[in-house]
Amino acid sequence: MVLTESVRMSRTGHSRRWVLGAAGAGLGAAALTGCGLFDDPEPPAAPDPLQAVLDEAVALAAAYDRLFISKPDLRARLGPLADDHRAHAAELARLLDTTVPSAAASPATGTGATAAGLADLRKTERLAQKTASTYCLRAPVARAALTGSIAACRATHVEALR
Amino acid sequence: MSDQLAVALAAEEAAIYAYGLVGVQLDGADNRDEARAAQQAHRQRRDYLVLRLARASSATPVAPAGYRLPFPITDQASALKLAIQVEDGVAQAWRPVLPVTENADRSTALSALTDAAVRATRWRRLAEVTPVTMAFPGRPG
Repeated sequence: MVLTESVRMSRTGHSRRWVLGAAGAGLGAAALTGCGLFDDPEPPAAPDPLQAVLDEAVALAAAYDRLFISKPDLRARLGPLADDHRAHAAELARLLDTTVPSAAASPATGTGATAAGLADLRKTERLAQKTASTYCLRAPVARAALTGSIAACRATHVEALR
Repeated sequence: MSDQLAVALAAEEAAIYAYGLVGVQLDGADNRDEARAAQQAHRQRRDYLVLRLARASSATPVAPAGYRLPFPITDQASALKLAIQVEDGVAQAWRPVLPVTENADRSTALSALTDAAVRATRWRRLAEVTPVTMAFPGRPG
């Protein structure tokens, strides 16, 4: 039948069937878009940069704990440093309205799963101080004092590990 | 901001005065050098604050001629105790400067807070005070 035959359209050179089909597909796509099926997914929210400071606090506390297993005589001297990190983690988690992550789940495991030596811990403390300092310098007003104190505390740990 | 800077200036002036008493009571040339270096660092912070307050057209508080000491400084133990108190006080004075500053001024405040906390740790170790650190340097209480 004529209705099913391809009829050339004079100006565009496309067949009428092609044009109608394309138009129909366009309408269909528009309708589906309206349903949200082809919406771009919402990009995941960027993690709060303060999370990195929290992760380091958790990882450092765990690193000290591993050290105390292999060298229990250091606990009396360095136990308070681990406690400092736990206090930081608690404050930061409260600020971020989250729970303190477990050390195993924390990505900031700079000292690895095995017990670090004092030199390794010192190096990790220095890096963590830098993280907190960098954050503090750009921090919103409400977070500047807390992160400044955490950066300063980490610097005192570098000194205490000398 | 000027109020916070004025408090920091008062703490730095007190530290400069205190180290004049601390240094002479310390045993060992290294420790006396350390005290001298600390006093010099506090002078530099003092000078920064005087300039910063002048730039803000704020009146610079006049440093008192003397201070009433919390206890007599008669030996190394009392000198170290005073040095620790002074550095903790300086850290407490600089921490509130952080939220009211930005860029280079905040960087200076953070360095001042950090340096005071590190010196306090050094003096605690020499005085055999434990723990040698505190979780939140500069936070009152």
